Amino acid sequence: MTFRIVVFISLCLSVGLAWIIESGATDVFLEATRPDFQKIPLGVAGIDNSGGADSPAGRIRLGNRIEEVLKADVRRSQVFSLVDLPSIGIKVGSLGAVPDPEFKKAAEQGVSVIVWGKAGMTNDAKDPDVNMDGYVYDAGNDEMVGGKRYAGATSVVRLMAHRFADELVFRYTGEPGIARTKIAYVSEQGSARELFVMDYDGYDARQLTADGFLNLMPKWSPDRRFIVFTSYRNRNTQNIDMIELATGKRWTLVSLSGLNITPALSPDGNFLAFASSHEGNSELYSLDTRTKAMQRLTVHAGGDLSPSWSPSGRELVFTSDRSGGPQIFLMSMDGTNVRRLTFEGDYNAAPAWSPRGNWIAYVCRSPKKEYKICLITPDGQKRVQLTSGPGVDDSPSWSPDGRHLVFSSTAGGKSQIYMINADGKDLERITFTGTHNSAPAWSPAS
Amino acid sequence: MKRLQSIICVPLIFGSLLLGLSGCSSKAVQSGGDVQSGQQGAGKGSNEGGVSQNIPDTSFSGQNGSGGLRGLDKNPSEERLGGNALTAKADPGSASRQMEEVRAEQIASVAAGLRDVFFAYDSFAISEEGRQSLARNAEWIKSNPGAQLKVEGHCDERGTSAYNLVLGEKRAKSVRNYLVELGVAPKQLSVVSYGKERPVCTEHAESCYSQNRRGHLVVKAGK
Repeated sequence: MTFRIVVFISLCLSVGLAWIIESGATDVFLEATRPDFQKIPLGVAGIDNSGGADSPAGRIRLGNRIEEVLKADVRRSQVFSLVDLPSIGIKVGSLGAVPDPEFKKAAEQGVSVIVWGKAGMTNDAKDPDVNMDGYVYDAGNDEMVGGKRYAGATSVVRLMAHRFADELVFRYTGEPGIARTKIAYVSEQGSARELFVMDYDGYDARQLTADGFLNLMPKWSPDRRFIVFTSYRNRNTQNIDMIELATGKRWTLVSLSGLNITPALSPDGNFLAFASSHEGNSELYSLDTRTKAMQRLTVHAGGDLSPSWSPSGRELVFTSDRSGGPQIFLMSMDGTNVRRLTFEGDYNAAPAWSPRGNWIAYVCRSPKKEYKICLITPDGQKRVQLTSGPGVDDSPSWSPDGRHLVFSSTAGGKSQIYMINADGKDLERITFTGTHNSAPAWSPAS
Repeated sequence: MKRLQSIICVPLIFGSLLLGLSGCSSKAVQSGGDVQSGQQGAGKGSNEGGVSQNIPDTSFSGQNGSGGLRGLDKNPSEERLGGNALTAKADPGSASRQMEEVRAEQIASVAAGLRDVFFAYDSFAISEEGRQSLARNAEWIKSNPGAQLKVEGHCDERGTSAYNLVLGEKRAKSVRNYLVELGVAPKQLSVVSYGKERPVCTEHAESCYSQNRRGHLVVKAGK
């Protein structure tokens, strides 16, 4: 009893203190894409089909396929602006001298980087090998500054383009790029909801679970090896499970009575924050994955859920309905220094802290009672509504470079997954099949 | 000069990253193994479970620097790309078992004539109509003291998936508490929330939403 009173008093104190103590400014990192960042004009001068095999289904235009994937990656990178070379009078394909004299012409028109290459397949009908060469011309150096040669099975054709795109981003920003990242999500299979993982552009989906009931709200481990999620293995209880992607091995981490939902591993992988109602209503807990010690973080009659870690791992943002409808709150990772972040609207939930630290994305209910994606700064000073229109938007999740978000939306009728730039531009639907796809979780960068 | 440095450094960083990763995975094999505790081992009567003492090493110290990239090279050597390493195992037995059990529960619940309770938007308060339904349900439960029932809380599609799980639990607990007030033995009742994940209809209209905002009683099959 006295313990409760002490906790209550300290909670009151910490809420009061929140007005004095500023939120952790160290969680805000500098962005490569500052508002004044000028995208680098880049043109693709053709990935030629270097011949090789004819497939039974007809000639596979490997180069064209790779070029298409590469261009989409370049466009999504937000580091480059994709220049359509033919539209400014530059010939592409079948390049002669390297670098081709055309490149200089393009450079004079402001194109900074030109990439080209070729791709083909070996003539082994049974087990053909794909080869791709890619080269980079830099207008500043006026020369071919480097290239890549890839080989692999036909199953890695898209990966070749993704990897080359990431090399381009890496060369010009020092960051590894996002073209090889993955998105975990929930997909309806009959009356069940199972976990899947797909490439960041929506291709190559693979099923992770086939339990036949509900698997919800996947989140990645920081090393990309595991996914933690809520699992209804026996329909009557919700456990927090973890699955290893490479092996399919599965562990039940939390099987307390009641709800065990919304797990999230800390950036160093050492703590699992989650919500559980085993002590009455939904509260937040932190499990030390090394010592297995569990610490209760919230003490309140209201429901607390959906923890998301700051990039430093020192703070958590979460949903709480302690003040009526759900609102977004912040606290230190030990449960102290709780303070409310959102005051606009009567429904704000599902927060996700940007890997760059500067924004928190969440679901906000607009004055028109539409559930949309909003962004707010951790100090609450700036707030923007990112999406608009009909449909229920849910589960925003950041790309590791902090430049994009994925989320689910019923805007097109059924729940599907969409990608959008953090500045609200380039909305793109990335799932097209199935009756229901939701709860996207973007992987960390490799 | 700078380029030379990066040519040397990048493979070094990549190499040490690989070492770090393989270190992790060997640890995971030692401490972990496939426990599948939810499925077989801890199965029966494990409602009061807890926190697993068997958690693989999830520590992460990597800085995600180069992301395994080797940089561009004027005379590039061939990099062989491996296929997708995702090989998660499905449990086909589980899916069909679940479907059979769900069907058995539905049949038993329909036979018992149990009624659903419907809720207002954003609310977990039981209406007058709901009280009447629950009074009938309570009579059946009291006259079947051997029956085990599950009180399911459901929500409509509006709002977030996560918050609807909390709202669904509040609805299920409202129903459970009212049944107990009516004299039902608490040990006959368990509570589960399905949030908005098990809708009975999927139209984006109030006529459908109102059907999904429900407390649903299920006669448990088997254990």
